[in-house]
Amino acid sequence: MATTTADRHVDRHAGWDGRDSFGRLVLAEWTKLRSVPRWAMAMLAAVVLTVLVSVLTASGSGYGAGGPGPPIGPDGGGVTDEFYFVHQPLTGDGGVTAKVLSQTGVEGESHEWAKAGVIIKESTEPGSQYAAMMITPGHGVRLQSNFTTDRAGSEAATTPRWLRLTRSGTSVTGYESADGANWTQVGTVELPSLPRRVEVGLFVASPFAIKVERQFGSGTVGASPTSSTARFSDVVVTAAQPGQPAPWSDQAIGGSDRVPESLLGSATQAGGVFTVTGSGDIAPNPQDVDGVRQSLTGVSIGVMVIIAVAVLFITSEYRRGMIRTTFAASPRRGRVLAAKAIVVGATSFVVGLVASFASVLLALPILRANGLAPPAFQVPSLSDGPVLRAIAGTAAVLALFAVVGLAAGAILRRSPGAIIVVVVPLLIPQLIAGALPLAAARWLMLATPAAGFSIQQTVEQRYDFVSSICLPEDGCFTTGPWVGFGVLCAYTAVALAAGFWLLRRRDA
Amino acid sequence: MNATTEAEPPAAAIGCGRGHNLRRAVHAEWTKLRTVPSTPWLVVAAVAFTVAASAALTASVDTSLCPSPLECHEDTTKLSLGGVQFGQVAIVVLAVLAITGEYGTGMIQTTLAARPHRAAVLLTKAAVVTATVLAAGTLGVLGSLAAGRAILPGNGFTAANGYPPLSLADGPTLRAAAGSVLYLGLVALLSVGVGTAVRDSAGAIVTVLTLLYVFPVIATFVTDPQWHERLEKLAPMTAGLMIQATRGLERLPLRPWAGLAVLAAYAGAAMLLGVVLFATRDA
Repeated sequence: MATTTADRHVDRHAGWDGRDSFGRLVLAEWTKLRSVPRWAMAMLAAVVLTVLVSVLTASGSGYGAGGPGPPIGPDGGGVTDEFYFVHQPLTGDGGVTAKVLSQTGVEGESHEWAKAGVIIKESTEPGSQYAAMMITPGHGVRLQSNFTTDRAGSEAATTPRWLRLTRSGTSVTGYESADGANWTQVGTVELPSLPRRVEVGLFVASPFAIKVERQFGSGTVGASPTSSTARFSDVVVTAAQPGQPAPWSDQAIGGSDRVPESLLGSATQAGGVFTVTGSGDIAPNPQDVDGVRQSLTGVSIGVMVIIAVAVLFITSEYRRGMIRTTFAASPRRGRVLAAKAIVVGATSFVVGLVASFASVLLALPILRANGLAPPAFQVPSLSDGPVLRAIAGTAAVLALFAVVGLAAGAILRRSPGAIIVVVVPLLIPQLIAGALPLAAARWLMLATPAAGFSIQQTVEQRYDFVSSICLPEDGCFTTGPWVGFGVLCAYTAVALAAGFWLLRRRDA
Repeated sequence: MNATTEAEPPAAAIGCGRGHNLRRAVHAEWTKLRTVPSTPWLVVAAVAFTVAASAALTASVDTSLCPSPLECHEDTTKLSLGGVQFGQVAIVVLAVLAITGEYGTGMIQTTLAARPHRAAVLLTKAAVVTATVLAAGTLGVLGSLAAGRAILPGNGFTAANGYPPLSLADGPTLRAAAGSVLYLGLVALLSVGVGTAVRDSAGAIVTVLTLLYVFPVIATFVTDPQWHERLEKLAPMTAGLMIQATRGLERLPLRPWAGLAVLAAYAGAAMLLGVVLFATRDA
């Protein structure tokens, strides 16, 4: 009888404040977390170590300050503007037509993005506005303008091919044809501040061949210049205002130090056929150094400390038998785990936010002083969206790893095992990615929890018409910042679900 | 007075049988180590991980990836011993638990009651753990070399292409193999030292793994070549594993043995810290 009354009383009591009992549970877990002095010290150490290592890494990084940097395109971004140009001035509206007879690589295979065609360009100054119709060995006919716009024509087109550009005001329209009689419009592009007098003509370019060689323990990235020759016939420049036909002149545009003089190119004309050889590329030059990620390097130490605290947050209860008291006080074990996850996740998020914000704040100016500065590099500002995403995302990644650690602790109930199963998949891929073939390394970096750090990526302007070096061990994820973050979220969810299931199923 | 006199005989017994006493201390530590259920598993895991990871890494490299087999410049000895850097995780756990396990269960008080000379207790424990690790390491390293010897010719690393079969009769290979075993022994000493200083298995394991693994990860972000090289010389794992190199030694930032000495300095410093803290703190 007495038992029944007591039971009913407890039940009613539990039912009565059932709603805020979860709040109390969270509060109880928060008290447990904050009242262990070693853990508070560890969290503080996580912040200090993260910032310290980030600052030290930034101090030890040089970016060859004083270089002139790439030319700046109309959009304000760095560009590559190197090609061989056969040109004459055109005033007012008009156009240029040519038949590309052939396109061949000099010394070996031609680059898939070698370009030959007709171009309308603001001036011969590198970085000036342009629109071009071109044929490429690997990607057919393209209409490209102002470095970042790329529109496909017939993808499988081969030489000979007729190409035409016409200017009307600030719009330039590109056409292609197989026979010079039936023309297909590829598209129209706007060049907003195109001057009245422009340069029109023929151009040939062939980008650097990028070769990534990787063997166990060493990887080399080599870029070697390539060169390509194209023959043009039926070259006609038409002008709305008839005038004296101007003579052709030819020159290499933007001959950089990287291109040997022998590859700068040449042009000859015989019987109406132009033979033009050129090297280089007309393309965006996205910077491959991510300053924000570079200023967050200390996080790899901070995450270790946070994982240790998160694992101990549950395994120490098992070791001391405290877990039985906890479950006696709150028999719904899933809610205990949820409360613990919320407390340790939120704490880690705050700790991570402080650590990553301070790291970027202190390390970015050091990187800037070490040469990561305009004009060679674009410097992000703290208020930029991607920068804020990287900072908040890093904090979120730390919180997720804390929850994974907690779940591993709930599953294994012993700290050594739990730490190993969380830390090893986090660290080993980063260590061995550089030694694996590129495809395997990309897969490994995306399939393991370490993928979460892709959220730190702030440089993501990669163009599929430019071959760029994107190595996973340098933190370059071809999939962008969110896919990897999602992978880590999935791991967290699976770990938490497994922990939840085992906690309810097993004796404590 | 009487009590002192009565206490005399055992003290004399200890004094007369110094060697006997040491043997008993070693025997006690060995008993504690081998009867913890995790120890045999961790020894098996260390050997198995080392051999399996070495075999997987060796199998992933093929001369067909090189311009020509002769131009591969692959250090096949180092490649075959690549699993050591993974197998060491189990060694770290084993060595850390040897000391933190006693703190976790309160066994340390019994140990110190039985043998109050603390520095001797810790050094005996370290010696027993290191000896166990050296034995496991020898098995792992020999297994890795055997796996390499079996796999390499199939991947084009044949004598005809300038890669004679791996053999311990070859000076540099013998140095790399023996050095890898010593490397694991030093990692064990480092772990015992850190474990004694931290007294908590989670904290100690994370500290040692951070020292070994995170150091090189951070070093990859340092772009200044001079600083990068300094970090490579300072990182215990990177420097210590230089003992495995048999080709291109002139391009290494440190001589192989000097690299191992860097790790030895870390291990020595950790043990010194451990002994000092162990001797001065309450258990």
